[in-house]
Amino acid sequence: MSTETKTTQHTHPDPVARTTRRWTRSGGRPRPTGNFELFSWYFFRISGILLLFFALIHLLIMHLLNNVDVIDYNFIVQRWASPLWRTFDIMLLVLALTHGLNGARVLIYDYVHSRGWRTFAVTTLYVVGILFIVLGAQVILTFQPQIQSVAK
Amino acid sequence: MYHKFDAVVVGAGGAGLMAALQLVGKANIACITKLYPSRSHTGAAQGGICAALGNTEEDHWEWHMFDTVKGGDYLTDQDAAEVLARDAIERIIEMEHMGLPFNRTPEGKIDQRRFGGHTRNYGEGPVRRACYAADRTGHMILQTLYQQGIKENVTFFNEYHVMDLLINNGRCVGVTALEIKTGELHTFHAKAVIFATGGFGRAWRVTSNAHACTGDGMAVAYRAGIPLMDMEMYQFHPTGLYRIGILLSEAARGEGGILRNVNGERFCERYAPTLKDLAPRDMVSRFIYQEIKEGRGAGPNKDYVYLHVDHLGKEVIDAKLPDITDFARTYLHVEPYKEGVPIQPTAHYAMGGIPTNIDGEVILDEKATVLPGCYAAGETACVSVHGANRLGTNSLVDLVVFGKRAGLKAAEYCQQNDWESLPANHEARSKELLGFVNAGASDGKRTEIAGDIRKDLQNSMQDNVSIVRNETGLTAQMGKLQELRERYGRLRLQDTGTKFNTERMEALELGCLLECAEAATKGALERKESRGAQFRDDFEKRDDVNFLAHTLAYRAENGGVKELRYKPVVITRFEPKERKY
Amino acid sequence: MATQVTVKILRYDPEKDKKAHFETYTVEADPLDRILDVLNSIKWYQDGSLTYRRSCAHGVCGSDAMRINGRNRLACKVLVRDVGGDAGKKIQIEPMLGFRILRDLVVDMDPFFEKYKSIKPYLINYEDAPASSERYQSAEDREIFDETTKCILCGACSGSCPPYWAGPDFVGPAAIVNAHRFIFDSRDQGAAERLSILGEGEGVFRCRTVYNCTDACPRNIPVTKAIEQIRRAMLYNR
Ligand SMILES: Cc1cc2nc3c(=O)[nH]c(=O)nc-3n(C[C@H](O)[C@H](O)[C@H](O)COP(=O)(O)OP(=O)(O)OC[C@H]3O[C@@H](n4cnc5c(N)ncnc54)[C@H](O)[C@@H]3O)c2cc1C
Ligand code: HEM
Ligand code: SF4
Ligand code: FES
Repeated sequence: MSTETKTTQHTHPDPVARTTRRWTRSGGRPRPTGNFELFSWYFFRISGILLLFFALIHLLIMHLLNNVDVIDYNFIVQRWASPLWRTFDIMLLVLALTHGLNGARVLIYDYVHSRGWRTFAVTTLYVVGILFIVLGAQVILTFQPQIQSVAK
Repeated sequence: MYHKFDAVVVGAGGAGLMAALQLVGKANIACITKLYPSRSHTGAAQGGICAALGNTEEDHWEWHMFDTVKGGDYLTDQDAAEVLARDAIERIIEMEHMGLPFNRTPEGKIDQRRFGGHTRNYGEGPVRRACYAADRTGHMILQTLYQQGIKENVTFFNEYHVMDLLINNGRCVGVTALEIKTGELHTFHAKAVIFATGGFGRAWRVTSNAHACTGDGMAVAYRAGIPLMDMEMYQFHPTGLYRIGILLSEAARGEGGILRNVNGERFCERYAPTLKDLAPRDMVSRFIYQEIKEGRGAGPNKDYVYLHVDHLGKEVIDAKLPDITDFARTYLHVEPYKEGVPIQPTAHYAMGGIPTNIDGEVILDEKATVLPGCYAAGETACVSVHGANRLGTNSLVDLVVFGKRAGLKAAEYCQQNDWESLPANHEARSKELLGFVNAGASDGKRTEIAGDIRKDLQNSMQDNVSIVRNETGLTAQMGKLQELRERYGRLRLQDTGTKFNTERMEALELGCLLECAEAATKGALERKESRGAQFRDDFEKRDDVNFLAHTLAYRAENGGVKELRYKPVVITRFEPKERKY
Repeated sequence: MATQVTVKILRYDPEKDKKAHFETYTVEADPLDRILDVLNSIKWYQDGSLTYRRSCAHGVCGSDAMRINGRNRLACKVLVRDVGGDAGKKIQIEPMLGFRILRDLVVDMDPFFEKYKSIKPYLINYEDAPASSERYQSAEDREIFDETTKCILCGACSGSCPPYWAGPDFVGPAAIVNAHRFIFDSRDQGAAERLSILGEGEGVFRCRTVYNCTDACPRNIPVTKAIEQIRRAMLYNR
């Protein structure tokens, strides 16, 4: 090859492709995310299956076997007297929220493309999500039955 | 826009990609193609690519060479056939290493199957020589080579239509191309140009060829003063889907498929007792023609015969012939598991083209004078390795064997030479052509519709320059082509746009088809003998005294064939004999 | 047998139109004609400016993927009678979604091919190949990736995929299919590289298992299944 060859210039044949090439910019793809996406996908499936079980029982007990008008403070107190039901509800809370949050996160990735808005939306989601989990968990875990005082 | 490269490859089918890969790392190259590479017609090839690997039974490259020469009715240049048969083996292995997913034998080697005209021990009986990937061998070759192109970072100019070949001081110096998306004209200045633009099957009505197979490379070279060789040698494949011509590969017969006439008779037995349905294509096409002519065709117009694979069983069909049986279902609503598929011969392959030597260098005359810097490979080239009739699977081999050789030779040339300057007004001819076409959209005096001209061309070629030819038909066709050329001069267009104006592109392609058709018809008219694809019912015998030679057609300045010259055939090992199967 | 067929085509000329609009044509066609033949007859005899890509005309080159009656199909693989055109039904033709329209039915395929390239669509093998023979592969190993070798890069799958419409960076089913073709090839050693590319944010986990791709593929490739196999490979082969 002559030395001239090396200095030979040519522009990219397609100026449009040059600008639409977000995909290949920065040496290939968006920054690696490790195994996070794999876990989130797997978790989606697992939590879905678990939710099938938890949510259905929840539905059964709270809405089908018992009607809303029988569900009152006492009902909850009796139910939460057993640690089993507390565990059940906390599982339901955590699973439903994380599953739902994960779904919402995926949706954000679909439709929010600008980096800034995306970060904002996902951060908000996480903050709200964690807040709900913490609040919910606090209620379930620290709940002290005070049957007498409320009964009257 | 102006571009400067060491080498430019025109066409990204099997031949173009193989050539481009040879230049990688040795020269700065561009591969220009009017289609995305993966859309090239190499992808349509079905049946196989042959090489004497001997994976399933004994085989030797000499046998392959012999079959190629005999199949070509001794018009094949034997030095070229030798190169083809020897190199084929290495090229197949090379492509396997590139990742080509061939079907496998039980031991895990590349599987091989039978194909028309390929025999053991110089004609004793059929041999398994065709390597294959189901019935999408060409697709896998095209994909694999394109993938290598991606790996090696070849610069592709996709959807650029090459319009002209630039020659200055007796050297090839580049091409001009129209960028389809923008309508902009580009000049590619180069030391070497390799043409690999494929065939011109769209000159006929019933064809297996893509809409894009319009002989652009041949026409561009022809207009630039390069002769076209053996253009009359145009192959009709026996088994095209009735009416539309979509190909049903010879692999169907290689796997045991049978042709039957309306009476259910296996008629090939009568004509070719040894090879039967697997006789070479020109012959089987003529058998079918004969059956139909003598009233044994099927259908309301008695104009087709049947291809049967139903006796092979569902498993064999699904494993080895899935695509082509799918074509029968999709396009004719026929179920090949159960019934015969209506077929008729279909225009298929150009044995002729831009003449080259065995290194892919384009030659200008009967003395094989080389045009420096100019190369051709693949269907658009004529080495001549297929002579008067190509054997099935020999084209894909041709692409990779001679694509590689052309690429290597061009690389060597680029390393040893500097750029020759562009000729003055290098874009003049392209601009004139574009101006002519564009004016079709504004000039009210122009009234001819491209669709009509194309239809007339295809119908008349089908009638006069197909399986059986004669003086009357060919003379009439010369007149017809003259008329069509005049009408083309009054071409009317509707699309005034510059961006993605495909009407304009089709008009350019039609112009190319007319050039090719003219060279082919003239060659056929003057070749007063029958040989391979050229069958004249007024000269039924082969005439080795006068016509054991290649036709070279030169174009007149203002269109039409100026003169024909003849180039002797290279004979090394096998003396011409009568062709019997 | 020729009948009158009504076709409604979404037209857009960047040099003339601000917005795409439908135009309706009536064409004489045979029930066995391809939609591509119908388009050709409009282009050749009615409106020369109608723009679309085409080449092979029998479903092997991948040029003419477009939306026919709302589904991505190759115009050369759908017959008039398949869509009831001969029975008086109107045929609606639009460019594929998820791609930028260049003109009429022609869309910008460059980003699509860039995505294809990003998954390293070529055999990766770090060992020297045997000097004068092929690499051996059993027929069973060959069978594993058979389906995904059929891809003709038409884009019908990606253009029918909701996450692909939504996210311009998603690699899309076609690229994944081609990654599958190599990941499951016993001769290939690049699986880890490809899996790590596809494991990122814009890879296989954008897929929501909608099955539109599988429905659209003119080569009958089980696209969704291929995607699922890749995700499983990531899960079990870490
Ligand atoms: C249906 C069918 C089945 C076949 N089966 C077999 C088989 O089983 N075995 C076998 O050996 N052979 C077979 N053949 C023959 C063989 O496939 C072809 O001869 C061969 O593929 C041609 O390859 P090519 O590289 O020369 O051209 P193509 O593959 O046709 O490529 C031409 C290239 O040139 C480009 N081009 C053309 N014009 C221009 C222009 N003006 N500007 C820029 N670029 C241009 C195109 O974009 C394309 O990239 C078959 C052919 C057909 C039609
Ligand atoms: C019966 C219980 C449930 C089952 C079986 C279930 C199952 C699933 C599955 C399999 C997915 C798809 C995961 C993937 O992309 O591969 C999914 C997505 C999703 N789920 Fe659930 N889920 C359940 C309950 C819930 C609940 C209670 C919520 C809300 C709090 C929820 C919110 C979501 C969201 C937002 C998505 C993402 C939707 C999208 O991808 O567009 N799910 N679910
Ligand atoms: S997977 Fe099917 S639909 Fe998708 S690009 Fe390939 S051939 Fe087309
Ligand atoms: S034209 Fe080739 S796929 Fe339709």
